[in-house]
This record gives sequence, C-alpha cells and structure tokens, in this order.
Amino acid sequence: MKVTSALANPSPGEKTARQSIAWLSRLGFALVTLFFIIMFSWSSPVFLTLDNWSNLLQGSAILLIVALAMTLIVSAGAIDLSVGVAIDFGAMMALIALKTWQLPWQVAVLCALLGGLTIGLVNAFLILVCRIRPFLATLGTWFIASSAERIYTDGGGAIAMRRMAPEYHDLAVGHIWGVPTPVMIVFVVWLAAWLLTERTLFGKRVRAVGQNSEAARIAGIADKRTVFWVLIAASTMCAIGGIILSANLRQFTPLAGQSYLMDSIAAVFIGTAFNRQGRVSMSGTLGGVLFLAIVNNGLNLMGLNYLVKDALVGIILVVALAVSFWQARLRQQHV
Amino acid sequence: MSSEIQNLGARRLRVLFEKIPLILFVGLLVWLSIQSPYFLSWENISRMLLQSVPLAILSFGLVCVIAAGGDDVVSGGIDLSLPAIAVFGVAILSLGLMEWQLSWPLLLLAVVIASLLCGGINALLVLIAGLPPLLATLSTSVAFTGITELLTGQRRISVNSPLMVDFRDGSLLGIPYALLYLALVFIAFQVLLHHSRFGQHLQAVGGGKDMAQMSGLNVPRLTLASWLIAAIAAALAVMPLLAQGSGSSSGTATPLLMEMVLATFLGGAFSRRRVVTIWGALLGAVLVNALSNGLALLGVNIFWMGAIKGVLILVVLAASALQHKGKS
Repeated sequence: MKVTSALANPSPGEKTARQSIAWLSRLGFALVTLFFIIMFSWSSPVFLTLDNWSNLLQGSAILLIVALAMTLIVSAGAIDLSVGVAIDFGAMMALIALKTWQLPWQVAVLCALLGGLTIGLVNAFLILVCRIRPFLATLGTWFIASSAERIYTDGGGAIAMRRMAPEYHDLAVGHIWGVPTPVMIVFVVWLAAWLLTERTLFGKRVRAVGQNSEAARIAGIADKRTVFWVLIAASTMCAIGGIILSANLRQFTPLAGQSYLMDSIAAVFIGTAFNRQGRVSMSGTLGGVLFLAIVNNGLNLMGLNYLVKDALVGIILVVALAVSFWQARLRQQHV
Repeated sequence: MSSEIQNLGARRLRVLFEKIPLILFVGLLVWLSIQSPYFLSWENISRMLLQSVPLAILSFGLVCVIAAGGDDVVSGGIDLSLPAIAVFGVAILSLGLMEWQLSWPLLLLAVVIASLLCGGINALLVLIAGLPPLLATLSTSVAFTGITELLTGQRRISVNSPLMVDFRDGSLLGIPYALLYLALVFIAFQVLLHHSRFGQHLQAVGGGKDMAQMSGLNVPRLTLASWLIAAIAAALAVMPLLAQGSGSSSGTATPLLMEMVLATFLGGAFSRRRVVTIWGALLGAVLVNALSNGLALLGVNIFWMGAIKGVLILVVLAASALQHKGKS
C-alpha cells in the first residue's frame, strides 16, 4: 500500500530517481542480454565466433517457431499447453507418411501439417463448442494426445528412419544460398507471422479479442471465428517445428515436443520486455528466444555439470520473467 | 399452466446436467466394482485412500490460492509449483536423514522454512513483479525442480528411518496413521477456509479484488497469506510423499502436478456453485486415485490410462461449462 501512495505523490527528488529507474528499466532487458553476452565471451573464446552463432540460430529454430505460435495464441488472450503434442503429431505423421505409406517427401510435409492441424481442431472444438477454458482444454488435449502417441508407439519407442529422402533430411541440415535451411524456414514463418499480426486487419482483430473478447464481439468482431483461425494457425505452425525436428533426427521420438512448452511460454513473456508498449509481439518473441538461446549456449560452453546448468537456467528464467514484468509495471505507472 | 410444466421440465434437465459429473463417476465406480469384486474390498479402499493422501493435501493448498486469487486460470490464482516444493522438501528430508545425519525436528523445521521461502518467492513474483500466477509458478516450478535435482544429483535416495516406517505402516484402531494425518489436515483446512473469518476474507478477495479493497480488506496481505498457506500445505504433503515413495526419487513432481490440477478442478465441478472447495478437492483426489486403481485392476493397458482420464476430465469440465452458460 505504501508503494502506491508514494507513487501517487512523489516528492521531487524521488520523482527524478524513479524516472531514471524507469528509463533504465526500459533499456533493462537489452542491458541484461548484453551483460550475458559479455560474460560468456569473456569466459569462453568460442562464444563470439560465427560458427557458434550459426549453431545457436539453427538450434533455436524449432523453439522460435513454437514460440511464434504461442505468441499468436497469447495475443488472442488464451494459452496453449498442447504445443508439445502438436509438434509430435507433425513429426509422427511425417514419418508415418514416409516410412509406412512410402509417400514422396512433399506429401509427407503436407501430412505433417495435417497432423498438427488435427490438434488445433480438437482444441477449437473443446474451447469453442464445449466452452472449456483454454488452459484446461489444452491440458486435456495434451493428456489424450500424448496417450495416443504412447499407444501407437507401444509405450514410447521411437520410429526411426535412417534412409529417408535426402530432400526431407535437408529441411533440417541443408543450406539455401549459404544459409541453413531451418533458419530460412524460420525467417519466412516469422515474416509471415509478423505481417499477419502487425499489418493486417486479422491481427488487429486477434488483439482486440485478446484484450476484451466481450467488447470485441459487441464491436462486431466474430470472436469465435477469430479464435478458431488462431488455434488452427498455431497448431499448424507447431507442425512445421515438428517437421524440422523429425528431419533433423531422422526419427520420431514420442513426447519430445514437450520440452518446448515451458521455453516457448517463457520466450513470449520475456519478449514483452523488448516491446515498447510492453505487449506480446512477434519481434519481442524473437528477442525472448534469442535471450534463452544465448543463456543456454553460453552455459553449455562454460562446461558446467548439466544439473548445475539446469538449475541455473531455471533460476535465470524466473529472474528474467520477474525483471520483464516488473519493468512493465514501472512503465505503466509512469506513462 | 403449460409453461409451468415446461419450466419444471427445464429445471429437471438442469438438475440432471448439474449432476452429470457425479453420475458419471458413480456409474464408473459401480461398473468397476461389478467388473472386479476386489475393487470394493476394505483392503483396496484403504489402499486407495492412502494413495490419495499427498495428492489431497497438495490440492488443499491449491484451493487456498484459487480461493484468494479467483478461479480464472490465466489471470486468477493458481499455484503449479506446489508439487515441486513438496518434492524439494522430500529431497531435503531424505538427504538430511540418510547423508547429513540430522535429527527429525531440525529437518522438519528446515522443510517448513524451505517451503515458506518457496511460497514467499512465488508471492514476491506475483505481488511485486506483477507476473500472472500461472507464469510465475510455472517458472518457479522449473527452478525448484532444478535445485532439487542438483541437490540429489538425480539419484534415488531410499529412507529407512523408523519414524517414517511407522508413519507408513502403523495404524491406530485399524486406521492407518497417514489417514488420521489426512483427516487432521483436512479439518484444519476446512475450518480455515470455510468456517473462519480469515477464510471468508480470502474468498472475498477471490470474488473481486476491488470490492474487497473497498470494503477495507488488506488485499496484498491476504494474497500473500494465501501463497504462504499453500506452501505450508506443500510442506505438510512432504511426510506422506516421503512415506509413499520410501524415499526421494527424481521426476515425481510432474505426474503429481497433473493430478493435483485435475483433482482440484474436478472438485470444483462437484460443488453446486462450481467453486473449488476443500471438500471437493478431497473428493476429487480420492476419485482420481480410484479411477487409476480401478482401471489398473481391470488390466487396462497403462498407455490408455492418460487418454481415459483426459476424456473424463474434459467431459466433466464441459458439463460444468455448459451449465454455467445455461445459467447466465
């Protein structure tokens, strides 16, 4: 209570102090990132090499795609816990198409997208028709779909395919004009997502529904249809991540997508710290993913025990989220 | 006249709708007990109850946070880090007993302090930094789990302390100690949340923050209290959890998290006003375990279990959501 009253009537000295804090906090996250970059490059000479950065970008391609999907959903005011199984379904369908049905790789890609789309349809049915809240609905989808994966693979055995079409394998390891293919794919997806959310009417509608779906509906926006397309688009994007994952490993590992869930949510919200208005945005998410990738990569290069690294990543995640929200709050109180 | 009849019919339909979750579960239990006569034997019932002790206590904690934060999952109160805190406590306890050779009272004190610290961090993130509780506790649960794994080195630590063995196997008048423990904790939480002034204040805050603020309640302090109470619940769940696993093993937090959320919200679907209650959480926890137990007795493939549970939860939630819609 004291805090708010102090903010309402700040004494002059306090005011300038607070303003400088707010100014610092606006830069805050970029400074934190810079600090990490300097620290890592000081501790490991490899960190700032071009090779390492190309590795880093390639390694974060899947996370970025999933995080972009999550960004879309969060900006529509929902949350999706089933991104992991959407990735898995994409990867699984691709491998089934390639291995069991012996289809050409282009069709396999299509099958993968359809696999992801299925998850989106299930979510849409649960959220829009059954009116279950997104958090619980997608939790249920996750339960059911991961169980389906276990049943299909007889308990979680991987579906491996060493001799897959080289074109498909190239989706993960090839190069286009000297740029790694996954990075290229991610760039295209990011650009499309950015255009969709920042430069089209649809993007404005999504944000309107996310801020206040009731008001959006009264203003004449078909809120259900908007959420439907958001869910479909997001799960299809996750399936693209699944394609890259399966092409890279040349196998489908059940439940592998789950590890991207927490990181993608974190990236989206860390991303709000990079945005000038403190809202969820595609560019912010890019920043968030890069931040996570830099921390991960740097800690790896320091050669820490993996348990220490995991604990550190967890703590850094908490602190980063705290900082990004705290500065957003400061900013709100100052505008 | 005819409209009255129609009204009556509509009301009956609504009552039926309201009871769908209950009917579904009772039907399932009856079916299970017909399929497997062992299901309703006293031995099996007491085993099911015993299994649900840690889950029920964790759910009590979650109910407190939801009661004070509102039941909107994204912006309201939710604490996903409770299982991680409890597993952290189990690790401290088993390490302390087996490797650091510390005494019980000291260790229990350490567990309580550690839990309160974890709850305090959650409250700090939510109240000072302004994170949505969902995000705050999701990230702290990752951090707490990381610290736990670092402490234990992802090893399994078996505990054979006589006090724990007593707690696990002993009984008073034919009732296992763990069940008595659950009954005590249940009564404490029931009184605290539903039959005390403090509990009413918590629910007022959950019902509407601004309203509560205007009627003179100290909202931040009450919210902080709810987080700390939840942490205490996690600390209380440490002992049964330790007894259940006879020690600490890594990876116990995630399945517990799913079941905790499930049990709590199922409990909400059973209550008439569709709010989460301590009583409902207890019922939910027992039912979740009864379901796993019954399906296992039937020899259902374990991979199907997740799917069956998932579908059931969704049916229950959909029924309660549709009913909500009918009312408004």
